Amino acid sequence: MSQYVLVLKEDCETCKLLAPVTKRLINELDLTIYSQDNPEFPSDVPVIDDTELEYSFKHRLETVPTLLKFDDERELIEVARTEGWDRQEWQRLTGLNFPDDLPAFRPGCGSKTMDPGMLDKLAVKYGSADLEVRRLSIEDGEDEIEACYDRGWSDGLPLVPPTELRVVKMLQGTRRSPDEIIGSVPPDYAPCSVLKVAVNAVMAGCKPEYMPVVLAAVEAALLDEFCMHGLLATTYFSGPMVVVNGPISRAIGMNSKGNALGQGNRANATIGRALQLVIRNVGGGKPQGVDRAALGNPGKYTFCFAEDETNSCWDSYSVDKGFDSEESTVTLFAADGVQGIVDQKSRTPESLCRSFAAGLRVASHPKMVMAADAFLVITPEHERVFKDAAWSKEQVKTELESLLQIDGAELISGAGGIAEGIPDKFADKVVPKFREGGLNIVRAGGGAGMFSAIIAGWGASGSMGSVPVTVKVRH
Amino acid sequence: MDLDRRGIPGGFIASTEFVEAAASQARSLGFDPSKVFVGHPIQDRSNAEMEKLAEDAFEEVLALVVENNA
Amino acid sequence: MTTVLMDPTAELSPDGRMPLPKPKSLDGLTVGLLNISKPRGDVFLDRIDDLLGQKGVQTKRYSKPTFTRIAPTELKQQIATECDVVIEALAD
Repeated sequence: MSQYVLVLKEDCETCKLLAPVTKRLINELDLTIYSQDNPEFPSDVPVIDDTELEYSFKHRLETVPTLLKFDDERELIEVARTEGWDRQEWQRLTGLNFPDDLPAFRPGCGSKTMDPGMLDKLAVKYGSADLEVRRLSIEDGEDEIEACYDRGWSDGLPLVPPTELRVVKMLQGTRRSPDEIIGSVPPDYAPCSVLKVAVNAVMAGCKPEYMPVVLAAVEAALLDEFCMHGLLATTYFSGPMVVVNGPISRAIGMNSKGNALGQGNRANATIGRALQLVIRNVGGGKPQGVDRAALGNPGKYTFCFAEDETNSCWDSYSVDKGFDSEESTVTLFAADGVQGIVDQKSRTPESLCRSFAAGLRVASHPKMVMAADAFLVITPEHERVFKDAAWSKEQVKTELESLLQIDGAELISGAGGIAEGIPDKFADKVVPKFREGGLNIVRAGGGAGMFSAIIAGWGASGSMGSVPVTVKVRH
Repeated sequence: MDLDRRGIPGGFIASTEFVEAAASQARSLGFDPSKVFVGHPIQDRSNAEMEKLAEDAFEEVLALVVENNA
Repeated sequence: MTTVLMDPTAELSPDGRMPLPKPKSLDGLTVGLLNISKPRGDVFLDRIDDLLGQKGVQTKRYSKPTFTRIAPTELKQQIATECDVVIEALAD
């Protein structure tokens, strides 16, 4: 049998109109009545006091009167609701006939939960009260932004103070439960919940709609193959670079075009930063602590962009990895900084590939091979050279790989008068610059400019270190 | 606290009158510095008495700036 | 009005900011002695200065211009550049 709930407030003409009907409804239906402002209204019927608006908030009421219908058999799932007074609708929901002296239709009034500022207050009251997290009180007179600095939470730039209200709103960006544990973050291997990610996402300056991407980035970072602990503890330059593919990158307004690797776009800036803050604050990885980078690179503040999937003759990076083009993914790569490649003269794919290969050759060191992976970020003007020659991305890769087969004699220690190099036994062999699958291609950048970029990776790659990982974005 | 933020460890010395005030400030700032309390009153002590206060407190004062090697 | 913030860390360490750890030894370090300029504090610090000198520890002396206000920024910067650790005295 169905159960019904009617939510009213006295300060509403339509609710007053219905008051006489409620007595009959109580007798003929399994009905509970809640009143938002006066528990004595309507009179003569049992009414539950919802002046604290708890029921109204939790059931997302926007209008009064609202009649809700619940299916008894399926654990009180709400199956229907109607707002205001609509005779036909009420008849349909209840199966009852209503007297003719009631009009066919009367609009409702705003629910008290929709009063100015009320939703926010209720969100904190009912949304955050049961969130299990330590809270810190900042007394009057202490600057909240300084307080965040003082507690060591910052990457050097100011943080958005993670108030309860901001965190509650951030959590609304995902359907995942706040206490769901994503994994353990190195180096302290403390468990990281969705809630902790939300707190750090607030501090980074994220919008709630970025949460699914941030969560995917954290998931990716915690995959064994990504080797986050090693990456953090290394003296090398690298930090995680985040590449986003799929519809979500456009939905949240990420930048995949002009200055995609630079500043100015909130989603790019804050998603990368949120990941770094989670690593710092939940994992405990800080410079001159466990983070022992000799120099680091500016990307360790934030390094995040979207691949440009528009107007391309090539499949996107995620499609190449086996995902559907309609799926959104996050890819993480242990990245150094950006090495620019200028080529304003190449008209043929062969010539352009030789330019790229020349740049790729020196990643980490001209004599270092089978060490770092690399991402080649090809801009639209350079891609056009390949498009015009009808070269697929695979062809570009194959060409680059063949150009990067290097004579061992050039690479061995001592060759060229440079002590760095590979063991002597390779002197008469041909060695590839990158391990198999170590070279990755993505497309990004503004329409004007015959420049592409190489982003080399951590010296320890493959099974010995970190591999790029791609994770699906879940809402 | 500000010198601590600038990377300079240390602490302060105060008379016992200061115990409550120091505790309350630590709570509100969220920061509890290293401290040594010496006997009150201070203002009317002779030089000899001040020097004795310093000598008696010296071990504790050292602990403000160096790890205890006991 | 108190603001409540949620803790972004793994909550492994105590609430609030911890003071910096002290060095293991004072060898080769300079100890700053900051007089907050309340009366008699100078005599106290003179004695501490002597005792440190007897232990072979390098010291430097500073004074706040007045005890009624916090130390000026230039003084703090000077201490931070010239010293490795600091003792402030004598509040009452």
